[in-house]
Amino acid sequence: MKKISLTAIAIIITTICIAQVKLNFAILNTQPPAQLSEWGNRREVLTLMATGQPGAPGGGQFKIKTEIKTLDGTVIGNADLARTPVFTLNSTGTPTILFANDAMPLEFMVFTGKYKTSLERTGKLPAGNYIICVRPVNIIDYTPLGEEQCKTFYLASTQLPILMKPYNEEVLDAKKAQTAIIFRWSPVVPTQPSPVTYRIQVFEVLPTQSPVQAMRSNQPLLDKEIVAATQFIWQPQLSFLPYDGETKKLPTFVWTIQSLDVNHNPVTQTDGNGEGRSEPLIFFVNPDKNKKPAKEN
Amino acid sequence: MKHILFCFFLLTGFELTAQEVKDSLLLNKAKDKVKEKLQISGTMGITYEGYGLSRSPSGWTGYQPRRPWHQVRFNFTPTFKFSKNFSLPFNFNFAAIPTNFAGPYAGIKKPSFGQFITNPMNSFGINPKYKWAELQLGTQYLKYSELSTGDIGVFGVGVDLRPKIFRFKFFTGISQQGINYVAGPPIVTGAYKRKNWMAQIGVEKEDSYLFAINIAKGKDVPTSAAPPPLTIRPQEGIVISLVSDLYLEKGFYFKAEGAQSTFTKDLATPLSPNLKSLKPFIEAHTSTITDFAAQAAVGKKGKNLDLGVMVKYLGAGFQTIGYPFLQSDRLDYLLNTRINAWKNKMNIVASLGQRVNNVKNTALRAKQFIGNLNWFTQFSDKFSLNINYNNFGFQTASGLNPFGIKNVSNDLGINPTFTFTGKKIIHLISMSYNYSKYDERDVMTGLTTSNNTHTGLLTYVPTYLEKEISPDFSILYFYNNVPGAKITLATFSAALSMQAAKKKMRLRGQLQYTLGKLNSFSSNNNLIASCNIDFKLTKKLTWATFLTTNYFKYGNEIIPNGANYVETGCRTGFQYRFDTKKQK
Repeated sequence: MKKISLTAIAIIITTICIAQVKLNFAILNTQPPAQLSEWGNRREVLTLMATGQPGAPGGGQFKIKTEIKTLDGTVIGNADLARTPVFTLNSTGTPTILFANDAMPLEFMVFTGKYKTSLERTGKLPAGNYIICVRPVNIIDYTPLGEEQCKTFYLASTQLPILMKPYNEEVLDAKKAQTAIIFRWSPVVPTQPSPVTYRIQVFEVLPTQSPVQAMRSNQPLLDKEIVAATQFIWQPQLSFLPYDGETKKLPTFVWTIQSLDVNHNPVTQTDGNGEGRSEPLIFFVNPDKNKKPAKEN
Repeated sequence: MKHILFCFFLLTGFELTAQEVKDSLLLNKAKDKVKEKLQISGTMGITYEGYGLSRSPSGWTGYQPRRPWHQVRFNFTPTFKFSKNFSLPFNFNFAAIPTNFAGPYAGIKKPSFGQFITNPMNSFGINPKYKWAELQLGTQYLKYSELSTGDIGVFGVGVDLRPKIFRFKFFTGISQQGINYVAGPPIVTGAYKRKNWMAQIGVEKEDSYLFAINIAKGKDVPTSAAPPPLTIRPQEGIVISLVSDLYLEKGFYFKAEGAQSTFTKDLATPLSPNLKSLKPFIEAHTSTITDFAAQAAVGKKGKNLDLGVMVKYLGAGFQTIGYPFLQSDRLDYLLNTRINAWKNKMNIVASLGQRVNNVKNTALRAKQFIGNLNWFTQFSDKFSLNINYNNFGFQTASGLNPFGIKNVSNDLGINPTFTFTGKKIIHLISMSYNYSKYDERDVMTGLTTSNNTHTGLLTYVPTYLEKEISPDFSILYFYNNVPGAKITLATFSAALSMQAAKKKMRLRGQLQYTLGKLNSFSSNNNLIASCNIDFKLTKKLTWATFLTTNYFKYGNEIIPNGANYVETGCRTGFQYRFDTKKQK
């Protein structure tokens, strides 16, 4: 009987000790940025709440054992507990709030195989569903101090639109272009949780400018936001200047698409230029396409 | 504005100096009978642009201005050639009012002197050259290769040395200044000051071969903007590339470039011992990525036949400071050809290829088919026919949606042209029909919507052989049909070109009226009038003016009904052409 009582007491003590820190996902974006280093810049990606008994053995100190798994449970990355930071529960008993940089400090995360290679080359994991698991552990021997909490999320690298029409260096007939120019582009991939706003911009390239220089310098002749559609018919309402005999250049324009999310921010802020702008294309307008040169006298 | 005045005085000062140098040299030449003379070529000028917008009814803002109200542009691009071996070219192009809408300077209104100098809308470059040595000062747009650097202007100092077949280039400077974020309105996105370095070492024989190693680096200064930009991160990147071009006999060529980039997407992220650094050039942070890119082209260029194959691979993590808009993670391959046949009366240009995006990601790999054909045939002096066909298809898997994305764009154009030659007039009649079809699949329902566009154009151009006038007339019909919207446009336009004042003045006027209709709403009306006047004041001085006005009145498709606007535009400027050669 005495043995049974002692065993029961031991189990209760162990349970109390194990349960002294509780981690809960307050927020986990199910489709977070594919760029893992970007998680730390956005509080809406991951928020953990740690609660427990600060007066318990260890002074309420703990580390977080973080694991990233595929859906079949294979661990592809985990935190190097020897180097991860130590957290302390609030002495007032209020929850300790932790973010992505705390729960998944990339500088202390060790990934394996193709996932490691992908991360080194692209900063992203291969597209797919993953599970993130966190568990509070003792700072000395890493024994569990609480239950493991897991959540699934989906990662996919966002691809900006590819401009399709007018295609690069297309020469448009001014007679048609002065009435309407059709612009087409591919959609943002993968399809975003909310409709994407495509901001189409057309800039005139002055004879002394390069296309990218014009794009970064001039006021756009067209600056229009289109929600969810990937075609726009522009009525330029312009008189295109005739062929410039001095510079030997046709009227030149550069166009691009800026992809914006529901908050009007670029859909990707870490890829390329950080502005969510697609690779621009140029097109020319030939005002004298049908002109026959007059015979010289 | 004081920057402008400062630069204008600089500019004027340069001209005075040039004149003094010129006079002095001419005197010396006359005295010493030295054969070599100072030669000056190039241009200088000033252009004013004005814009006006009047909207009705008062208070309606449905149409936004699309040009700066006022703008003054200056250009000063003479080349002083002091001797056969020594030249001094200037390239000054700058504007009074910043109008940046995209890029690091977006929204800036009152730039500092440093921001004015490095603003991409302004260039201040001087490139003194002695034999094979060129000093590069000020703003330079240097293109080292397709994968290293080429799109960005950098204000700084460098050299381009070309002794015999050897090539050594180096340049360092600032491509953008720090710009503080302003919540606005108007919003200023903000930017970090970016320092750039680039170098090239190699051998080159023009039209024969080129082998070179390029290195280009850029680094942001994180403390250079306060408050910092909200959505832009301080970055650092380096790219090393090996480029080789080979031109063989009979028009065969081979071009290839391989590159590796190491790029830190956010310098604020912690240093990472897990990632490889490229010391001493760059130290790895947790946001540092290293990837590769390569491109190769092989083919043959001939008088009547060009044939080439091009392959380009950009790894998903390939990123360069020198090409900020480069879209990575793709594989392009393209076969292109140009054929001249039938005694040059038939010309065919065609390309066929595919672009694969998201190469690394098999689940969401996107494929884009590219096909272009342009076939021109001059059947006789009286009849020619041009046919063009373009196809762009984009397809990718679903991601989380039930259906994948599939967009296909098809365009077919047929353009016959008839020419009738009389004794005093040539009549040119050109007809054109274009059919454009754009199919787009809804990723939720799987339904495909078709967007069809028909365009018909008839142009008549009479050319008078004994008169100095040259008119043209055209009628265009445009019809676009997509579920829920039908757009019809009809345009009538007429233009007249002529010379006057003993051929010193070229005049061109154009009138264009467009009647538009959306669904069953009442029609909208658009009238555009424009006029060009190019006046040759002297052999070296020209005055060019462009005036335009645009009146647009909406139908009842928008509220308020009857809304309309009038845009006016004016561009006028003087250009002086330096040319001492022709004065002799």
